[in-house]
Amino acid sequence: MIKNHEEPANSALASAGKSLSRLERRRTVLYAAAGLFSLLGLADSIYLTIQHVTGQSVRCTIIAGCSEVLSSSYATFSGIPLAMIGAAAYFCVFSLSTLAAFGYRSAGQLMRLVVGLMFVVTLWLFYLQAFVIRHFCQFCLLSAATTVLLTGITVLLWRIRRRSV
Amino acid sequence: MKRLLPFIIILAVLAAAVGTVLYMRRSAIQASTPVLNASSQPSVVASSDPGVVASSDPGAEPPHTIGPLDAPAQLEEFGDFECPPCGLVHPILQTMEKEFGARLRIIFREFPLTPTHQHALAAAHAAESAGMQGKFWQMHDLLYENQKAWHDAFDVRPIFEDYAKRIGLDVERYKQDLTSEVVERRIFLDMKRGHSLGVKGTPTIFLNGREVPFESFPADKLREVIKAELSRAHP
Repeated sequence: MIKNHEEPANSALASAGKSLSRLERRRTVLYAAAGLFSLLGLADSIYLTIQHVTGQSVRCTIIAGCSEVLSSSYATFSGIPLAMIGAAAYFCVFSLSTLAAFGYRSAGQLMRLVVGLMFVVTLWLFYLQAFVIRHFCQFCLLSAATTVLLTGITVLLWRIRRRSV
Repeated sequence: MKRLLPFIIILAVLAAAVGTVLYMRRSAIQASTPVLNASSQPSVVASSDPGVVASSDPGAEPPHTIGPLDAPAQLEEFGDFECPPCGLVHPILQTMEKEFGARLRIIFREFPLTPTHQHALAAAHAAESAGMQGKFWQMHDLLYENQKAWHDAFDVRPIFEDYAKRIGLDVERYKQDLTSEVVERRIFLDMKRGHSLGVKGTPTIFLNGREVPFESFPADKLREVIKAELSRAHP
């Protein structure tokens, strides 16, 4: 009798354990993906920062408009190149996602906050390119796409967190 | 070891990023080549030009200038060929140039106001391309003098090509230079300098590094401002 009661309970526990470990694996994969995408954003931002600091003009090879966007007054914030701020933000996301992938839960929460802020700034910068400067810069669009991907990953992580609670 | 691994990865990426920055910065500075002719001494970090304010971005070098390098009054204009007030200031500056002669040096900086002026950037390219053949000022004058003729045109390229022919440019070379890296970079550097000096509109004029207020642009007032500057330089 006892055996009959224990078997379903054990199997339910085993199934819950499997499900949790599956979610944990997915979470780790998503944090790793966030880390990789933030490296792409970091490389893009570093390139733009160097070009800005050394006074090089950036040539768009796919669409025209890099000069207009990157020489506009919106390319700096309080004298600091926006690309440099972007590089710092991407490095921050990379560090936090790496820590989160290794089990540091609070790093994951902080990463979601940083990515949310980056997404809002990205929307603002996209608006400036589309309606104020009226030119697009491919490197800025690449950065915007990276931030959108990071936001997507953050949403997926948030959904996993809700399911596991 | 597993606890340390994420920190090792983060530090490795930080080191790689800093290394890349230092390497790219050095390569970019080494790749900065002379922009107009071999005799010029271009610099991307500082300028030896007395008319260039030291604490700001140096702008394209060598700049387009009229007048001797050691003139006591150095007037630097940030202009947009399509802006009507710039067109009005153009003959005033020509008058000042004649009146003050060797005591005044005029420096022109590109500051095309895009997208407000749809052809401003094309005009800046045209002037800089002419500059590649040593005829910047001829194109500069033609663009300002005929501003109304091309301002409303749908396609300004044939008009500017006609100007290029009129001032005796090698038109094929002019067309090639229009889209060249050198021309684009000169405009970019001038605009960067303008932004570093706080230029918001055109024309903006600096006299020996001090901004001349817009109200002082009429010939009689500008003359007084220049005279005052000269007497300050040589009391």
